[in-house]
Amino acid sequence: MDVLTPADPAASRTRPRRSHALVHDPRSERRRAAVWVGAFLTPAVALILLLLLAPFLITAWRSLFDDNGVTARFVGLSNYIALFSDPDFGRSLLNTVLWVVGTLVLPVLLGLLLAVLTHSVRWGAAARTAVVIPYALSGSATALLWTFLLKTDGAVNQTLNAVGLGGLQQEWLLHWPMNTLVMIVATTWQATGASLILFLIGLQTIPSETIEAARLDGAQGFQLFLRVILPQLRPMTVVVVGMSIVNSLKTFDIVWLLTQGGPGTASETLALTMYRQTFTLNRYGYGAAVSVVLTVVVVAASWLYLRRQVQQRSGEGV
Amino acid sequence: MTGRTARGVLVTLISVLWLVPTWLVVVNAFTPTEQYTGSPRWWFTSAGLFSNIRAAFDSADVGQGLLNTLMYSVIGGAVAVVISALAAFAVTVMPVRRPGLWFWFIFIGTVLPLQTFLSPLFTGYATTNLYDTQYGMVLIYVALTIPFAFFVNRNFMLTVPKEISESAQLDGVNWLSMFLRIHLPLARNALLAAFIFQFTWIWNDLLFGITLSLSPNVRPVTATLADLSGNYGTVGPPVVLAGALVASLPTVVLFFVFQRFFVNSLRLTA
Repeated sequence: MDVLTPADPAASRTRPRRSHALVHDPRSERRRAAVWVGAFLTPAVALILLLLLAPFLITAWRSLFDDNGVTARFVGLSNYIALFSDPDFGRSLLNTVLWVVGTLVLPVLLGLLLAVLTHSVRWGAAARTAVVIPYALSGSATALLWTFLLKTDGAVNQTLNAVGLGGLQQEWLLHWPMNTLVMIVATTWQATGASLILFLIGLQTIPSETIEAARLDGAQGFQLFLRVILPQLRPMTVVVVGMSIVNSLKTFDIVWLLTQGGPGTASETLALTMYRQTFTLNRYGYGAAVSVVLTVVVVAASWLYLRRQVQQRSGEGV
Repeated sequence: MTGRTARGVLVTLISVLWLVPTWLVVVNAFTPTEQYTGSPRWWFTSAGLFSNIRAAFDSADVGQGLLNTLMYSVIGGAVAVVISALAAFAVTVMPVRRPGLWFWFIFIGTVLPLQTFLSPLFTGYATTNLYDTQYGMVLIYVALTIPFAFFVNRNFMLTVPKEISESAQLDGVNWLSMFLRIHLPLARNALLAAFIFQFTWIWNDLLFGITLSLSPNVRPVTATLADLSGNYGTVGPPVVLAGALVASLPTVVLFFVFQRFFVNSLRLTA
């Protein structure tokens, strides 16, 4: 608060000083301001330019070459043409779409469900802790755990056997599309805590008067949820959904640790295809083309999402 | 009444389902390597946790990995937050032409897929001798975490009333002392939130760890653990789990210490 107090006395002195400033040489003033701005912006801009944007542009440029790391030959768009006629790329794209849809359906919906169910219950905190702990675990710890669960002689099969459901035993990570689906479940276990927290914050911003008024009007249970709570949660939902889309498009860690994209290339996502082409097969141009396609998809998706969010903001007058 | 019972059953069911994997991690991290039969255990047989942790630390340099990660997370997170606060101040308070353009220029870093940077960075690092050095790792983590920290800081600084900086300017305060004395103290919470987010992000990064480093005294702990569990690992799953448990502890603790704070600071911006 101490910081704020000088504001008022200063405001009363405003007029005489401003006229004085105008007499001052405006050009040198502007130049000095530009130097200050430069000093404040340069570190961030330089680092982003050198370490993120420049590498991205190099990758985009490289995608036009047939490049094995030693020799490079300009081939125009043929990497992209080869890409779109490659069945492995098609599967990788399909897996990425599965990830986007799967993580929207499972962690986001479950997070919403749990937030609403445990929001006003006294013992809700215990349930929420159970769901949030995995979110604080690192991705590699999660992957280790799930390898452990899903191995052919792992905990899941062991349990199925023990309860007399041995017939349901599977080689969980060895067949497509089962491997992608179980990895989405593993991600759900870890990521639901994040959306749960965000939805809880959203629920706390709903005025209790709104809920009370709706109750008095006879809204109950599912009706109350659908007609009152869900619309009020909309700003937070946009954030959670947008984050979920961008992150799932970039899925890498858990697949890399659980199956390395295998067996073969069956469970690869775009991020993994790009990684394998570039670093395992040394097909730099082709790998670059994959990452450019991935970039276009992510940028398009996040632009659509941000644009939508901005529209909603202005529409609701928040 | 039936509705409430159904809700209770459902929530209990989901909680138990979520706790089972967590339980397995803990129990099996306690299982001594020599008693491990290849299939996971469901109950404690002995307190082998500490010998497992010791094995992880001895055989895979988890200790060195943890130290590296701690250094990258603390230094990288702090530097990124300061640099992004400067940029956020410039874009929101200083008279910049086209602030929107600068915003997107910095923010685009969170949107671009990380894998896009890998190959040119690898080449660039190799030619500039930054590959497999601690400087190189800190540098890339700073660059990678600037965009999001910038986003948080900018959103906060937009809420600081314009009159404050205007009157300070008329009092002849220069930009640097205005930033240091007014905006930085006001943005303390946003800075801390941004730091915690970036700390956790760097702590959990695997991709850049395995790409830009090789030797044990540079590799972050996530990369060390990935090697430990990979095809060339020589230790059993209990040791790997014990290592993972230790590696996750700092973020778990950080998370619970700041849980209340997280909720509050986010609510301000909502």
